Amino acid sequence: MKRLNTKLFWAVWALLSIAGALYAAKTLYVTGDRTVLLPGETTGVHHQFEISCHTCHTSDDFEDVNSVRKDINKTCVTCHKDELKASNDSHPIKKFKNPRMADFWEKIDGRFCTSCHAEHSPEATLHAGVTLQGDFCVACHSEGDQDVRQNRESHAELTFDTCASSGCHNYHDNRALYEDFLVKHGNMPWVKEEPVHLPAALSRTPSEAVADIETYLATVDTALPAYDETIAHDWAASAHAAGDVGCAGCHAPEATNEAEIETQWVEAPSEAVCADCHRNEAKTFALGRHGMRRHPEIADPRDAKRSLKDLGFSDPPEAMVRLIEAYLADPDAPQAMSTSEARVSLKPEAHGQDLTCSTCHDPHAQDLDFAAVDACLSCHNDEHSTSYKDSTHFALWFDEKDGLLPPGSGVTCATCHMPQSEKGGKVLTNHNQNDTLRPNEKMIRATCLSCHSLEFAIDALADPELVKNNFSGQPNRHIESIDWALRRVEPTDTDANQ
Amino acid sequence: MYDKFKGLKASVLAGALAVGAMQPATAEEGLDFQTVSDLLHLVMSSDRTVYTRMIVNRLAVEEKVITASEHFEDDKALVLPAQMFRFGSEMVAEETDAFSYSLLSLWPINKQNAPSTPLEIEGLEYLAENPGENFYGEEELGGEKYFTAFYPDISVAEACSKCHNEHKDSPRTDFKGGDVMGGVVIRIPMDS
Repeated sequence: MKRLNTKLFWAVWALLSIAGALYAAKTLYVTGDRTVLLPGETTGVHHQFEISCHTCHTSDDFEDVNSVRKDINKTCVTCHKDELKASNDSHPIKKFKNPRMADFWEKIDGRFCTSCHAEHSPEATLHAGVTLQGDFCVACHSEGDQDVRQNRESHAELTFDTCASSGCHNYHDNRALYEDFLVKHGNMPWVKEEPVHLPAALSRTPSEAVADIETYLATVDTALPAYDETIAHDWAASAHAAGDVGCAGCHAPEATNEAEIETQWVEAPSEAVCADCHRNEAKTFALGRHGMRRHPEIADPRDAKRSLKDLGFSDPPEAMVRLIEAYLADPDAPQAMSTSEARVSLKPEAHGQDLTCSTCHDPHAQDLDFAAVDACLSCHNDEHSTSYKDSTHFALWFDEKDGLLPPGSGVTCATCHMPQSEKGGKVLTNHNQNDTLRPNEKMIRATCLSCHSLEFAIDALADPELVKNNFSGQPNRHIESIDWALRRVEPTDTDANQ
Repeated sequence: MYDKFKGLKASVLAGALAVGAMQPATAEEGLDFQTVSDLLHLVMSSDRTVYTRMIVNRLAVEEKVITASEHFEDDKALVLPAQMFRFGSEMVAEETDAFSYSLLSLWPINKQNAPSTPLEIEGLEYLAENPGENFYGEEELGGEKYFTAFYPDISVAEACSKCHNEHKDSPRTDFKGGDVMGGVVIRIPMDS
């Protein structure tokens, strides 16, 4: 009896093990929810699409390590290409591919993104997704011709843990930090005489007001299925009205006559309708935290039949495919980011909202003042956000709205986090609100320098307390980079004597 | 100036052909490393000379209608000849591992372009001590064997020596026209 029990136990154990292994293999190689297989939480915004593993992991199964690392490079660059190009990357991969860099490969292999950004290692991840120690510059810049302590007198006594943590250097983006730029922008007053953000000034200059809303409304088609006085008034004062985009422009965009408007009318047009005209906004929105879930490069759920074919089942039985699709398919990736999944501090009442264009932009009223400040503050609850309305930046915005200051003087949330730029007379608003945040020195050129000196901007961004209180006051630390750079080109009398 | 350029081009071409004649290669064998390298260098040095003389030196030094600057985007200026060469080499690096090239010097403005392997030191010193001559060698880097060729990089226009002599990071400030300022280094992996 005892022997029988033992045999039975072994048989059940074996069966369960085989079933478990088959299930895991199926989930890994065919379809199914892979959340349980995540080796560790992903970094920052990557969590938004971490269930779509093959967005990043595109290599064929059982590829060698170097091929996998190269493939991951490609997927990193798929989304980060424009950012790296715009940053005038100081350490691009192409620079490290030359075999003369072989000695450096042993130290930090700059040919692969994953050498510094390992992913799935939350316990080892520092700022900006870096998974190396903070003094990583020491690996290559402490010996021979590359020894910065030898090349720069001012750096002789410095330690390597401060290179990238003190507002002086970044691995990729040094556009506002390179030596000649420091010299060119040295010795300037902390705030300009007429501080104005020019593209913002251009966009905030009021367009010709529609004098008589009623008369204007009479000139446009009113035979609409959902005509509403309030909506019509809101719309008549909007940029859509000024641009001759009527109701049907969004609710029945393909319609060519009134009958078609009736039949094709869509009560709540999708974001695709917005994106049809607002291409730049849609593109940049999908690169930021708010809109990333609709990024075109996020992989679709796997197709069971195709996965089976890739595994060598040239003609998988239809019943098997249908069974897998019915019960064991990849979960659909959510189409929009929800505030409930956010990993930053949000107000309790803000939870449970999907982020779409209309979260910040009322489709009829298009109140850009709301989108630039109150939309943000209706969700964000961190100290920097809650301090904004006590800041000088807000006071300037208040005065601008009051007509006391010229357009572009006020600094809204969007002025810094969604900086505008001018291209061919058109103002573009960057809807990737994270674009100038990591590292925050990226903000210097896009925003700060419109009104402030480089020295003030570097000092202010390097002072975490000042960032927290939304720049109410002066920085309480000074980064000496500009002083050192100026001293190299304009030696003082004391330096010359030495 | 154009006659002078023609002369230079002809002499480089003649040199390359002479090398080819000394080491005949048949189609079956393929070209030997040195011939491939010499031909690659001929294209590089011709393009580089044309850009330096006909664009940078003409527009920035002689006619003074535009400047050339290391920070060409911020300064709305021409790309420096050395940067143009390096950008080309980086673009090649993105496309292929079949060969790579660099512009190095014993007196580099940017320390990244100082010699970093023993053969680079030997080659660049040879070029500096033997003007007009090339240097060829083999070396092992990152577990792979390379054929490495060194070609003198000469100050072909006033813009070259002027800029290097005046730059605050330049370790040498007495370059004259015709001086060897550094070397073009071409590497071809031997086992692939």
